[in-house]
Amino acid sequence: MRLIGIDTGGTFTDAVVLDHGGRTTVGKALSTPGRVDDGVLAAVGTVADSLGLTLRDLLSATDVLAHGTTVGLNALLTRSGARVGLLTTAGFESTPAIAKASKLHHLPESDLRAPSRWRKPDLPLRRSDVAGVPERVDLTGEVIVPLDEEVARAAITRLVAAGVESIAVGLLWAPVNPRHEHRIRELVREIAPEVHVTLSSDVAARIGEYERTCTAVVDAYTAPLVASYLRRLETRLRDHGFVGDFVVMRMGGGVQPAPVARRQAVQTLRSGPAGGVSATRALGARLGHANLIATDVGGTSFDVGLVIDGEAHSARLPTIDRIPLAVPAVDIPSIGTGGGSIAWYDPALGTLRVGPQSAAARPGPACYGLGGARPTLTDAVVVLGYVTRLGATLTLDRDAASRAIGEHVARPLGVGVIEAAEGIVQVACAQMRDLVRRTTIQRGHDPSDFVLVAYGGAGPQYVGRYAEDLGVSEVIIPALAPEFSAYGAISADLRVAEGRDLRPVPLVDAGPLIDAALAELEPEVVAQLRGAHLTVRRSVGLRFYRQLQRVDLPIPAGPVDADVIEDLLARFHKGYELVVGPGSAPPDTPVEVVAVGLEAVRPIAVPAPSPRPRRRAQPVRTTPTWFRGQADDWPVYRWEALGAGQRISGPCLVESDQTTVVVYPGQALQALSDGDLRLILEETA
Amino acid sequence: MTTTPPDPITLEIIRHRLAGINEEAAIMLRQVSGSQIAVEANDLNTAITTADGTVVACGDYVLCQVASLDLVTSDIIRNYSTDPGIRPGDQFMTNDPYVGTLHQPDVVVVAPVFHEGTLVAWCGSTVHQPDVGGPATGGLALDAGSIFDEPLPVPPVRIVEHDRIRRDIERGYLVRSRTPRLNALDLAGQIAANRAAVAAIQNLCRRYGTDTVVAAMDHLVDAAERQLRARLRELPDGRWRHVSYLEHGTPAPDNTDVYLVRLEAIKRGDELILDFSGSSPQAPGAINAAYPALVNFTVASVLVYLCADLLWVPGAVARVVKIVSREGTVVHACWPAGVAMSTATSCQAIRVSVNACLSRMLEGSVELARLAMASCQSSGAGGGVLSGVSRSGEPFGSMTLDELTGGGGATLLLDGVDSSGSTTSPGASCANVEVNESYLPVLYLRRAELADSAGPGRQRGGVGCVIALRPHGTEEPVRVVSFAQGLQHPAAVGLDGGDPGRQSMFYAGRVEVVDDLLAGGPVARALPLPDAAARLTGSAVHLAVTQGGGGYGDPLERDPAAVLTDVEDGLVSVTGAERDYGVVLVRVGATSWTVDRETTTARRRLVRSDRIGGREPAAPVAHRPGRRLTNALDLVDGPGGRHIACARCAAPLSPVDGNPYLAMAVVEGPVHEAAPLPARYPGSERFVIRRLHCPSCASRIEVQVSLRSDPVVQTVSPIA
Repeated sequence: MRLIGIDTGGTFTDAVVLDHGGRTTVGKALSTPGRVDDGVLAAVGTVADSLGLTLRDLLSATDVLAHGTTVGLNALLTRSGARVGLLTTAGFESTPAIAKASKLHHLPESDLRAPSRWRKPDLPLRRSDVAGVPERVDLTGEVIVPLDEEVARAAITRLVAAGVESIAVGLLWAPVNPRHEHRIRELVREIAPEVHVTLSSDVAARIGEYERTCTAVVDAYTAPLVASYLRRLETRLRDHGFVGDFVVMRMGGGVQPAPVARRQAVQTLRSGPAGGVSATRALGARLGHANLIATDVGGTSFDVGLVIDGEAHSARLPTIDRIPLAVPAVDIPSIGTGGGSIAWYDPALGTLRVGPQSAAARPGPACYGLGGARPTLTDAVVVLGYVTRLGATLTLDRDAASRAIGEHVARPLGVGVIEAAEGIVQVACAQMRDLVRRTTIQRGHDPSDFVLVAYGGAGPQYVGRYAEDLGVSEVIIPALAPEFSAYGAISADLRVAEGRDLRPVPLVDAGPLIDAALAELEPEVVAQLRGAHLTVRRSVGLRFYRQLQRVDLPIPAGPVDADVIEDLLARFHKGYELVVGPGSAPPDTPVEVVAVGLEAVRPIAVPAPSPRPRRRAQPVRTTPTWFRGQADDWPVYRWEALGAGQRISGPCLVESDQTTVVVYPGQALQALSDGDLRLILEETA
Repeated sequence: MTTTPPDPITLEIIRHRLAGINEEAAIMLRQVSGSQIAVEANDLNTAITTADGTVVACGDYVLCQVASLDLVTSDIIRNYSTDPGIRPGDQFMTNDPYVGTLHQPDVVVVAPVFHEGTLVAWCGSTVHQPDVGGPATGGLALDAGSIFDEPLPVPPVRIVEHDRIRRDIERGYLVRSRTPRLNALDLAGQIAANRAAVAAIQNLCRRYGTDTVVAAMDHLVDAAERQLRARLRELPDGRWRHVSYLEHGTPAPDNTDVYLVRLEAIKRGDELILDFSGSSPQAPGAINAAYPALVNFTVASVLVYLCADLLWVPGAVARVVKIVSREGTVVHACWPAGVAMSTATSCQAIRVSVNACLSRMLEGSVELARLAMASCQSSGAGGGVLSGVSRSGEPFGSMTLDELTGGGGATLLLDGVDSSGSTTSPGASCANVEVNESYLPVLYLRRAELADSAGPGRQRGGVGCVIALRPHGTEEPVRVVSFAQGLQHPAAVGLDGGDPGRQSMFYAGRVEVVDDLLAGGPVARALPLPDAAARLTGSAVHLAVTQGGGGYGDPLERDPAAVLTDVEDGLVSVTGAERDYGVVLVRVGATSWTVDRETTTARRRLVRSDRIGGREPAAPVAHRPGRRLTNALDLVDGPGGRHIACARCAAPLSPVDGNPYLAMAVVEGPVHEAAPLPARYPGSERFVIRRLHCPSCASRIEVQVSLRSDPVVQTVSPIA
């Protein structure tokens, strides 16, 4: 048994290899934009080297290779995808351009108070590449105007002649009756068989034409690149002897077989962060925690995900590059606070601020010594002595960091450089803590029910600060913190999910309708996953009469009878009163069913890591470090040397080749048997 | 307050947290709430105030709903401190426009925040309700004779006591509404949002100390006040004027149906007075604004048009800007005048007037001129309420919110944003067609951007939209109430010689007429003004056009390549390109166009000289002759003393204390020529579009919409 997980990031491609003995090997290669598969093979190659194997030996004995890819995301962010033509219901060609008139949707914070910079999301679609086709279906699915095939043919011919490489179809009420969308796909295949087609009713069977159309356009925009990349990578892997399952991380959680991923390119878009949450879930399963908060400190952002009752928490309308997508995705709220966030003095407020601007990768923070002059969060931890190098190689320039903080923050604030650096860490960590709080408390979750997990290259430096005051039950820094997303790809279950929006029906009458809709979905879903041991999960989306937000609740197998309905009603009312207050659920307002969902899951068996020996590691050296304005020589430990169960008191640092854990004064750290670390925020001993 | 502010780091943490608490309250509200008005369109907002009601944090959705929440809290403090009392766990509800809401459909729920027995802050929200009772569904009645023909407001009542909703008071409120279930969900959402915000602010007090939190809020208001005063000092002193028109009822021969919102802005040093006292006496109903609406819209407009990139703290604006008005006028109505339609009528005129005056003020500064912005859509006849009985026998009634698809105003450097709604409701959205069809028994035939609806300019305004729908799923007639403004004339002003955004259109009737209008029928058809009894029956169609945004700068100066792109994108017609921009296009192949450079140059030269009676226009000078007064006018010190001159050609127009507008070459045209579809409404013949040009170089200096009998407005005069 051997599993390989691969995550392609902006700078590095990470590979994590798990062997059946539980041995974990990590490999890293520079990402190779344009030829992403080269970086993937190089990263796997470095693992093979360190295991003393050839690439062929390694791959031919691999059962599952799981991949989180940013090919689609990069194509979208850099606007380098396919030229898309859109077919809509005639009269509604402006749906993407009107964009529900939402000029503020996910605008960067710095533009919110600047009316001349209010702009709508920039969908990768030219206005002149949109064509309306006479047809109309109403909300019941009844055909009011039949599809005008002549016009449809002419529109397809015109768009293809104009140079369109991929076609998206978004018709009104297609989720309720997709017949016209299906017919248009047949016409495209007839007229231009080489052109990719995405139907809105396929990729996002959700009511709400704007978000559904955006999803279809983004899918059509990225699909040709994603499909050809996955095909090329798979071919190269097969050429190197790989015969196992090639699976791709989806932003909705879990992994799916590559052929399914090629048909739903949009699901690969944010697969990296979803991998981190997936790894958090697996870590929780191993350590016996069902509720976890996943926190990832990156270079430009801080991401938070939740695992509740052992499942990654989903958002129904995720947003990428300001574009709303009507596909469920692991919910990962994010703020622009990361290692590269710029610290500055705000003369108007007289305060120290951090972000939302970030230093670009080049020249980067001042401490990189590459010419960056503005101080960043990373510069602050370098000045404080918490971090001295980046990765295994780049030594950081503390003097440059001090100068930048001195000039841009300390002097205008009238404080010393150390005080300013501590202030930067404090303000940044308060922003991170705020996001965690907003993701938990204000959604009705009590942090004391949760274990907080910190990862990403920088997470271990800050978690001791941002986890304070949250009241979480425990803080874990996983052994693979810097490569956690790649690890997430192999720790995820194979899963395929489908959902359908229904016309609102009172729940009390909806049993047969729910049964019928689920019976229709189930074969579609099961067929996409090979193999036995499938678990099928069913859910219904409920809301109060005419409420727009819905709540998804799981339902048991078997027919939806009166008992099931009664139980659903009770659970729905209870959830409502949890948020609004006791006795608040309006008793005489009917509850409606508006959606059904179905998910098939096939678990991937992950070998348990081999346990650490029990031993007591000694510090390898001491280093001058500042805490609360005081400098002292504090001990530094090697992470891999710590024995199972070993407990060390802060202040101290624990370093590995890829990252450094900061244990702040008053805190302590305990090594767990699998190499994970438990951070104890208030040491009582 | 005399407390010393907390250290810079704690201050930043608290500031960030307050904004977060307020935003999360809005998210909570939308999660719990019911209607598509609240959830899809975000016709709501949340705010946090100090204990005395100064608004410190304000959401981005509909700014003017909470910009002056202090009027509600101060009313509660003034009247209820002893009876029934203000205690922890209480919440108060009101929809009284004479107390503090914009109009009756806007329901405000506020909660005091106590910590350890001290009143620390208030938090609250506003949500627009589908129906709050009264004779007409949706609360908007065109023919109201007073507020007694509109939904009768509920003054503040203590709807929540000790964290529990008072069912008796809730019933008293819900029984008025035709949509009680939706209102109940929205109310629950507002209560839940307040609960969450109260708890979060209390936590903040526990963590940092009540004194620190209070001092941080005070500091925030002080800092925002300092910023705003500094910005005012950067701008030249002067007086700016603007007149907006409203109509109420059928056109009368003596124009008694026409109401003026007249603003004079006076700026000296770091003080700004916005004087509305020259506005018309109040109307019987519908189109008036009570004082709270005037203040809310004015404060929100000052934030949008003057405070770009500054802190947006409404409480600070109230300290710096003095609002002057006269009781009994259309912008400051006295009880019992009807005010239910204020937000779509007088409030829009208030925003446009503040917008026009402040933007011209910004044009006086080299550094800040880029912030000047022409007017966005002014919620017009494109919007309204549909109501009736669905096939299942259940009453329905709601706004479609399609009026939010009007165009944005252009700026010195950029075109306005197409179909982007109004600036004072930045976070509001129109609903999906599929969502509206789920709520209302209608079938949309079209909702699309409309060519030639934007105000032409060197930078063009954003386009508006055309919306057509018909009843579907009901046999009963569907009642249609239109906001009915902007049909007789355009309402969104252009700047610096840019044209106004094109007017609204409204029609409810035969499908043949609609088809004809959309096909651009050969002659301008006379359409009736909306009346209170409008119904859609059988195959009748409801047609609405939302206004475009105002243009910026002389349209003859627009890059012909940009005009060509607009034509390719369907935002300007080939006819419009020639008529509005002097750009002549010729066909290339079956589907594309190219600019005929030579003909375009000749055509533009001809149009320019026609502006000044066929004379040869003077050549522009290399440098502006003096100090900026506006983008088009300079103050010049010459041998004959200080005078006002054309900034382009240096031609003197008037002495510094004279009226340069009297010297300008005026070209006056009927408003229906600028209608986006070929139609005209009764009363429109009384209005004109006046284009004012430099008499020497023929550059366009300003465009004004006016009653034919009213004089040219002197929109700016310097203070020496």
